[in-house]
Amino acid sequence: MAASARKHASQSCVIPGGFSVLRLKFSADSAAHHQLFVKEHRVRSEKSAKRPLDRTLFVLNIPPYCSKDTVKSMFSKFGTIQSVELTEKPGTSEAAEPKLSECFAPSTKQSQGFSVGYIVFKNSSSVSAAKSHPHDEPLIASTEKRPVKMGINKWIQQYTEMLVPTEKLQKAVDSFMNEYDKRKEKEAEQQRKDEMEQQEDEEGWVKVTKGKRGTKVRPHSERANERTLQKEDKKRKRKELMNFYTWQHRNTQKEHIAELRKKFEEDKQRIALLRAQRKFKPY
Amino acid sequence: MSKRAPSSEDGVVRPLELSRGELYKAPTLEELSRLKEAESLFHCSLLKMQMEELLKEVALSERRKRLADSFVQRVTELLHAVPETPVTEVSDLSWLSVVRVPFLLVPNTTKGKFHMKPPASVSLVGSYPLGTCIKPHVSVDLMVTIPASVLHPMDAINQRYPRKRALYLAGLTEHLLTSPAVGKVQYSCLHGNRLRPILLVTPPGKDAGSLTLRIHPCPPPDFLKPSRFHPQKNNVRTDWFTGLEASQPGVKEPATPQYNCSVVGDHLPQAHLQYLTAFSEQCPAFKDGVALLKVWLRQRELDQGTGCFGGFLASMLLAHLLSTHKVNRSMTAYQLLRNSLHFLASTDLTENGITLARNPDSKAPSMADFHSMFPVVFVDHSGHLNLCAEMTAFTYKRIQHEALLSVKVWDDPTVDGFQALLMTPKPLIRTYDHVFQLCELGKLQLSCKKLGLMSELMDHSGNYVLAALPFILSLLQRGLGQRVQLLAHSLPLSPEWPVDQDPPKHMNQPPLSFGLLLQPEHATSVLERGPPADSPKAAEFRELWGPLSELRRFQDGGITEAVLWSATSTCQKRLVPQQIITHLLQLHASVPASSVRYVGGQLDSVINLGQELCSTGEEESLRVIQNYDDLSRKLWQLEDLPLSITSVQGAHPALRYTQVTLPKKKKKKNMEDKPCPVYICPIKVICHLEGSGKWPHDHLAIRHVKAAFHIRLGELLHAEHRYTCRPSATHLDVWKDGLVFRIELAYHREPLVLRELISPEGLQQQRDNAEARALELEIQHKPLLTSTLHGLQQQQPCFGTVCRLAKRWLAAQLFSADLSEEAADLLVASLFLQPAPFTSPCSPQVGFLRFLHLLSTFDWKNSPLVVNLNNQLSAAEYTEIKNNFVSTRQSLPVMFIATPTDRKLSMWTQESPSVQMLQRMVMVASESLRVLEAQLMDLKQLQDVRVVFRPPLDVYDVLIHLKIQQVPLVSYAVDRPKKFLRQGTNRGPVADPGGFLPVIDYNPVSKYLKELRVSRAYIALFFYDVYGGKVITVLWKPQAFEPQPFKVTDENVCTVPNVDAILQDFCILGEGLVQNVEPRTKTWTV
Repeated sequence: MAASARKHASQSCVIPGGFSVLRLKFSADSAAHHQLFVKEHRVRSEKSAKRPLDRTLFVLNIPPYCSKDTVKSMFSKFGTIQSVELTEKPGTSEAAEPKLSECFAPSTKQSQGFSVGYIVFKNSSSVSAAKSHPHDEPLIASTEKRPVKMGINKWIQQYTEMLVPTEKLQKAVDSFMNEYDKRKEKEAEQQRKDEMEQQEDEEGWVKVTKGKRGTKVRPHSERANERTLQKEDKKRKRKELMNFYTWQHRNTQKEHIAELRKKFEEDKQRIALLRAQRKFKPY
Repeated sequence: MSKRAPSSEDGVVRPLELSRGELYKAPTLEELSRLKEAESLFHCSLLKMQMEELLKEVALSERRKRLADSFVQRVTELLHAVPETPVTEVSDLSWLSVVRVPFLLVPNTTKGKFHMKPPASVSLVGSYPLGTCIKPHVSVDLMVTIPASVLHPMDAINQRYPRKRALYLAGLTEHLLTSPAVGKVQYSCLHGNRLRPILLVTPPGKDAGSLTLRIHPCPPPDFLKPSRFHPQKNNVRTDWFTGLEASQPGVKEPATPQYNCSVVGDHLPQAHLQYLTAFSEQCPAFKDGVALLKVWLRQRELDQGTGCFGGFLASMLLAHLLSTHKVNRSMTAYQLLRNSLHFLASTDLTENGITLARNPDSKAPSMADFHSMFPVVFVDHSGHLNLCAEMTAFTYKRIQHEALLSVKVWDDPTVDGFQALLMTPKPLIRTYDHVFQLCELGKLQLSCKKLGLMSELMDHSGNYVLAALPFILSLLQRGLGQRVQLLAHSLPLSPEWPVDQDPPKHMNQPPLSFGLLLQPEHATSVLERGPPADSPKAAEFRELWGPLSELRRFQDGGITEAVLWSATSTCQKRLVPQQIITHLLQLHASVPASSVRYVGGQLDSVINLGQELCSTGEEESLRVIQNYDDLSRKLWQLEDLPLSITSVQGAHPALRYTQVTLPKKKKKKNMEDKPCPVYICPIKVICHLEGSGKWPHDHLAIRHVKAAFHIRLGELLHAEHRYTCRPSATHLDVWKDGLVFRIELAYHREPLVLRELISPEGLQQQRDNAEARALELEIQHKPLLTSTLHGLQQQQPCFGTVCRLAKRWLAAQLFSADLSEEAADLLVASLFLQPAPFTSPCSPQVGFLRFLHLLSTFDWKNSPLVVNLNNQLSAAEYTEIKNNFVSTRQSLPVMFIATPTDRKLSMWTQESPSVQMLQRMVMVASESLRVLEAQLMDLKQLQDVRVVFRPPLDVYDVLIHLKIQQVPLVSYAVDRPKKFLRQGTNRGPVADPGGFLPVIDYNPVSKYLKELRVSRAYIALFFYDVYGGKVITVLWKPQAFEPQPFKVTDENVCTVPNVDAILQDFCILGEGLVQNVEPRTKTWTV
């Protein structure tokens, strides 16, 4: 996307919002270019140590073909880079999920749209260097030294990466399961301990805790709750008498007529609609 | 009590909200009876109201009646003023100046005198005075009585009367032409009978289209004695007709029943009108009943042409039912219709004719006389006329078949009978499985000679088409035998021609069409087994089949006459009837194969798979399924798995016979090699593992356990059966006999685990989420659907092929991203499960046409499409689904398909199509249907069915052309490249199960599309024919070029798309795949 702001033929181009515009070309001989919007990272609530306020450059509109490495190499001309983080939307960095081996990482995580980047430099001077980069001097993503694989080559590479040797897969499974077993064991241990605490000690005292495993009077899942309610309902229904008193009988008849009326009205509406759409012309 | 729905302007039915007071107020007596009637007589009050609306729609308006009356008045006055002419010889036509005689004067010589004289009387007859005339094509019949002095009592013989009648009509025409009060004037003939020409007159000016006046000249009633026209008497002499002297004077002249009938028929219109009026006055619903019956007949193309069951016969039928007390006078129109259909379905007029004559006079022919001369017998009240004289037995069989079908449909509460029976047209091409046309009808002249039909020809006064038709039909019926349920033929339409031209010759008639309703069990048999060689019937069999009949010895020891047709693949076997028909017509009727145009397999080429051998995929599907069965057996037998397998289910279209690109046997190919390797589609198989306490209760852990099982299963398969396997975290690929099966293990509680949630209070809850839904779809619903549809294929052998055609069309029109394969399969399945008003399709062609018709005419907005798989749904459940649909319409997908296992969600159409795409789909489908039907039925059209498989590209903004070497499925494209591409060649079956794995599931185009769709979803839509398309079309979204607010800042800054960069990105993303990017519109100038 291009900003509707005027282009400055001069040095750097700054648009409202405090963003500087950098041009980006895929390769040296590409005709068209994308525009990157950069700005120092400045969020009041930022607590993450990963994005130090003074040294982080916030980049918008990174095209999908730029991977972390590409971004790193493009921006390293402004100074040494400590880390690069690409996300789909600006915001706080996500909490790290349990570390998965690469064969289990869901493939949808790879973003393919335009992304937002947080580039952390070693020195804070690099941020301003990037911001004052001349507008008419584009950055180039794919150079001869470090070409970005696109299209067929990329897909072939992806395919080959997808082929994981069985041993590696087995190893990943084993290590995860071991960890899992350990975790489970620990949990079981904890639970045993809790239960132990709830038992009477020699003197007949029970330690009362706030723990979640307190009363077990009510069934402990939503479904079980529903089931009991249904059972009670059924019991009540069975005791009821149907069509026993005159008024009950009268009511049933009334209901029947009301039902017919309702249906009649509904049909009338449907017909009116169909008539409006000329649905009754047979040919 | 009327409360309008909150908003019905947008065309959606909403649930009504009636107040308590309105619902529960005391009913009046009238209301009670109305409700009761609706409840007991009709399925629901809806049907009653629908009928009323339909009748309103077809009834003539007062304006039109006034117009008709005044026009009749004017024409009557004109007719009375016809000037007299001097008496001349009949053969002398010099007194006519402009107009020609509407009669084929063959042979030319006629005796007798003729002169014009004003008519004795002019009166209205037929449907208009009776009140049963309906729209469209309003025709008012006017009977003009020829004065007795013009005729002679001996005119009955040798076409003298019909010729005088035609001359009289020509005289009237000449007079009418002089007046400005009439508009267009044309000749025609009554029901295609050339002996009874009529004059069609329309009012002048803008009213021309609203009605047609038909002028019938008639003799004075009782002018000729009806006893002269006994069906077994002769009234056309052979020596006169042939022009030869009768060689043997002693020989009895052949009977001329058709001729006799048409002359008698001319005497009776007035009497018939009186007879029917009496009934119409007795029975209040008579007119409406006839109107409904006429609509029913018209939808089935039975109401026009020679030998039709027209409106007049319909009223006569009702009169018969009333007079025999089969229906009651106080019945409603709907009941009359139902009862007459029931009567037609259960009575065979070809065996037991019916008569309206209460006490016929002594000279009237007996029923046996009628049956000996006519195939269908329905005698009028005079006892002399057979009303069904021109009808062939086959037409009656067709009427009976339709009536039987309709009665069944009406008894089925799950079908909308009104829509199916009265609102759906049944053209020949969409009704019958195969259709063929006799093109050059002149050839039938030879047939008549060959079949020895001189007397029939004489009887039909030289109309060789009508004379030969019954014989050709019975010949074909004999030949086709058990292969067809029904052999139907189109009714030759009455020609219309200008008054200053001679009547068209018989040979210039439009082609005659025939329809075959196939019997799926027998139709594709290649063997015609006849009687044993020594039985007396053998000669008959040899006579029928001619040189093709051979003596053959069979495995059961019998030596019989037999005919063997050459066909190897299923698609060739389906066309065996074609071979039979062309052979028989050639042999017995000397109709050359070139004038038989058979329409049955024209669409096969689109889904043809074989290079040399023609095949529409049945054989390939079968091979996949056999391999799958083998694999599943082997999986069951594995013993060393820690947990046993509880079910093996296919979850891939190939395993339900509906895959378009069927896996062919292929050899592996190196990756880096150009062009790209052959696409090998993995066939997904779901294996459920037994439940056990050892399964972890955590979704990540479950995934890892499954991966471990994949590895283990792969090892076992390799160890026991030497299959090459490749396990991965999500599946196991097995390379077996040239096919790749992708086995996915499943644990039935996994979706539950995914949904589980512990609330802060420690309560275990189930919360739906997308991941769980997707998993459930994969491991539960897809396998179930696959096995159900596999079952359907076993009952309906062409289900799979229709699916493949339908999906090929959807993809070719670039809709495959919008309508999922499962949804398409379900749409096709509904055609087979609920074919009303048709029968289940037995050929791919008719199935495909009906698919297009369904897609284009179904009311997606207001009704759910219920696909009753395995017949699991009862009528009550249907209603429940419908009610549920109406009450929650707003939140449901635009295209709603319900199945027994999916009643509330329509899971296969949840995501797509969108409203706009559905609308476009409907539009393209109706256009395709129109083009295709015209092509199949009309010789003059361009003959290339692929036209409907080529999408219009002019609506798209950008075209991305692909390099065809990199399109792996290019060999399935609609227009395949002429040069065969080197794509990894097929070197026959792979013998040993081992060896290296090929490249599996590598399709650069789909990867490219996915990237495009993800990265550019906000600005454009991408369309592609997934089966080998060479171009990706791009449509900018309407809102794409509106400036968007720059999201990150609060300030009032807008951004607009950078189109040049976007177009360049298309190239960059698809490097090596994209040939060029062609922008076609300039809508982005911002």
